[in-house]
Amino acid sequence: MTQISQPDQQFIKVSIWRGAGDKGGYETFDVPDQESQTILDLVSYIQQYIDPSLTYRFACRVGMCGSCAMMVNGVPRWTCRTHVKKITDKAGSLTIAPLRNLPVIKDLVVDMDVFFDKWVRAEAVHHPTRSIEQGVQPVSEDTAERQAANAAIECINCAVCYAACDVVASNPEYLGPAALNRAWSLVNDVRDGGREAILEAVSGTGGCHNCHSQQSCQKYCPNELNPTASIAGLKRETSKFALRNLLNPANKHNQGEPA
Amino acid sequence: MTEIERHDTDILILGSGGAGLFAALHAQKAAPDLKITLAVKGLIGKCGCTRMVQGGYNVALGGGDTVERHFMDTVIGGKWLPDQDMAWRLCSLAVERITELENEVGCFFDRNADGSLHQKAFAGQTADRTVHKGDLTGIEIISRLMEQVLRRPVEKLQEHRAIAFIPASGGDGLAGVLFIDMRTGKFRFVRAKTVLMSTGGGPTMYRYHTPSGDKTMDGLAMALRRGLPLRDMEMVQFHPTGLLAGDHTRMTGTVLEEGLRGAGGHLLNSYDDRFMFGYDARGERATRDVVSRGIYAEMRKSNASPNGGVYISMSHLGEDKVRALFPGMVKRCADSGFDLAAGKVEVVPTAHYFMGGVVVDIDTKTQMPGLYVAGEDAGGAHGSNRLGGNGVANSTVYGGVAGDVMGRDALKMGALREPDEGILQDEIARACRPFAKTGGDLNSLRRDLRQTMWDDVGVMRDAAGLKTGLQKLEQIKRDLYEIGVEDGVRAFNLTWHDWLNLDNLIEISQVIGEAALARENSRGAHFREDFPTEGDLDNSYFTLAKQIGDKLEVTREDVVFSIVRPGETILPEDAPETLVS
Repeated sequence: MTQISQPDQQFIKVSIWRGAGDKGGYETFDVPDQESQTILDLVSYIQQYIDPSLTYRFACRVGMCGSCAMMVNGVPRWTCRTHVKKITDKAGSLTIAPLRNLPVIKDLVVDMDVFFDKWVRAEAVHHPTRSIEQGVQPVSEDTAERQAANAAIECINCAVCYAACDVVASNPEYLGPAALNRAWSLVNDVRDGGREAILEAVSGTGGCHNCHSQQSCQKYCPNELNPTASIAGLKRETSKFALRNLLNPANKHNQGEPA
Repeated sequence: MTEIERHDTDILILGSGGAGLFAALHAQKAAPDLKITLAVKGLIGKCGCTRMVQGGYNVALGGGDTVERHFMDTVIGGKWLPDQDMAWRLCSLAVERITELENEVGCFFDRNADGSLHQKAFAGQTADRTVHKGDLTGIEIISRLMEQVLRRPVEKLQEHRAIAFIPASGGDGLAGVLFIDMRTGKFRFVRAKTVLMSTGGGPTMYRYHTPSGDKTMDGLAMALRRGLPLRDMEMVQFHPTGLLAGDHTRMTGTVLEEGLRGAGGHLLNSYDDRFMFGYDARGERATRDVVSRGIYAEMRKSNASPNGGVYISMSHLGEDKVRALFPGMVKRCADSGFDLAAGKVEVVPTAHYFMGGVVVDIDTKTQMPGLYVAGEDAGGAHGSNRLGGNGVANSTVYGGVAGDVMGRDALKMGALREPDEGILQDEIARACRPFAKTGGDLNSLRRDLRQTMWDDVGVMRDAAGLKTGLQKLEQIKRDLYEIGVEDGVRAFNLTWHDWLNLDNLIEISQVIGEAALARENSRGAHFREDFPTEGDLDNSYFTLAKQIGDKLEVTREDVVFSIVRPGETILPEDAPETLVS
């Protein structure tokens, strides 16, 4: 990154949230306008050339790690893949804040532990059914289940959906779109042995039935995934699962048919 | 005296790429009653480079392919410099590891119509060997590994930057690791019976580089300071097509995938000439090192694009076809303001992977009892050049091995070792050095370092340039020690960490330069214009660098051909040269 100082240089006004926890406010910086420039570049410029005490987080720079998501003009985005020119409003100004719905450690950095704790609480972790000695299980990619599993698989756990979700904002217990989306992928994975455990985990207090299908997760997912659809799938399966258990308690410990 | 928070564990792992996460899983299996701690410079599963793997995972799974064939490709690809025992273990254990990834970890890789794993051939392979998940294989591997680690009772120390290995007071091995808890800015010393260094090399000291921003050679610099021998340190792999968009953006240097050239992409200079055929009969389809040198030569001829590189152009294949074949690349370029499908995009060779590393045995053990190294931090498996698809195989294979061995060794150990308190205090003082100074320009120093490495220790090297580069590095190092960081809030003070990052990068840059000077031939990633041939294969040597007091010593060591000699093969006599159609 280089410092820029031409006489005809244009500048962008960038308001950045500074602080920790609930305490803080916005500070404004003038950053030189450049031809190819991302939101992450603006933030980096401020830390490197204007205020060395600014804190932010990034790693891969290319939309693979999900470390650099922030609220940009009120919307959760990957800052490394968001071009400044596509975002600045008519007045040419920008507001950057830490991701919503997560505790702020400092400035633009949030604590993502709660997001990942919920991932584990949703049983969104593969439950093995085969030993290494048995070799890789042949799986057709043409079946409806596998296509459902694949449709939900390319999540990089950036928490953009979690920040976008109004249900998370009003109900801190809610597991959130990312964890539930992963759970749905596993429910459809013929190799997974945890179907019952997952359906139980996602039907509890903070579970899938809290979702009001407002679809912010789908709208803002940078990978164009559809967690709302995944959650709808979980709602159907958990209802069937609950009904079956009610009608025939002996069923409770069977595997049930695939979704 | 600065306050230190003290903490104990049994097994300590540094890094959460493929090596670190696999080590955590295997250590937990090998020693379920021991305490395991995973310490990471960023967030678990997010920092590091395994996640960024696009291509896939090399493993011989039958259909004519064999472990022997994978091994021969690896040794030949590494130009006879790999440690053959390490390469053999990599190729043979990959078979078990890929099954473990599918069956136990839960990764799902692309399938053939019959439901078996789909495999494709990368450059330098004689079989369709690379298992993959589309072109985002690393995300699938790391996301699934991360889930498994998170659900286990593994202690997490996130945003903990390791700054020093602290030896035992008795001198009988490693006592533990000194960290800065980045979130609080405080020092934390963690004692452990066994420690894995799997922080990933990552040559980010070059003007153009691909690795994630958190990688700054921290592990190798820490190992160097404790006198551990490092091998193959001149071996920096350049990827030919890094995105080029100006020095002001972090997008610059990031990889545009190999497949673009494979599919028929053209490389054009500023006159729209397809220059690669002037350098190699295979044109754009030549290997990574050859294309990188072709582009670099073209740039030196002043045939460069506005930002100083060349162009990659795909549009002759048809805009829609390019969109269909490379949706991820087209979208990434579009997000950055470039049209890969219909326009042309500026590219430049970019430092990608570091083959050099700490000398280890096939059990990941180093010469320091208690310290183990796996993944990109370990030298030997790739020799002078890593094949595409062998990187993630290496980190997962040896990460698993490290977990097994560290678990067993920790179980056998009695008490934790007591640290050398003098060294502990010295290392804290070292980290606090910038607080004693004021002023100075860290950013222009970083720029100087990157430009020096690019110009003098880069794609093409010669003795005069390397000597100039080493002199400049010496000056850059002196300059760094005059630059201060304000000692205000130490909590999450990125500028302090920028300083520490530069310190490590400069130190390892000097080792790269000295090792490059010591290798007077051209092998794999290392090209000397004053010694352009590969030299005598039968008398191949590797470089060994060691810090002795204040002095860096580089020696040449004979390569031991423990399995196969140059010109020979372990494949059956009637084996075809290649199985790739």
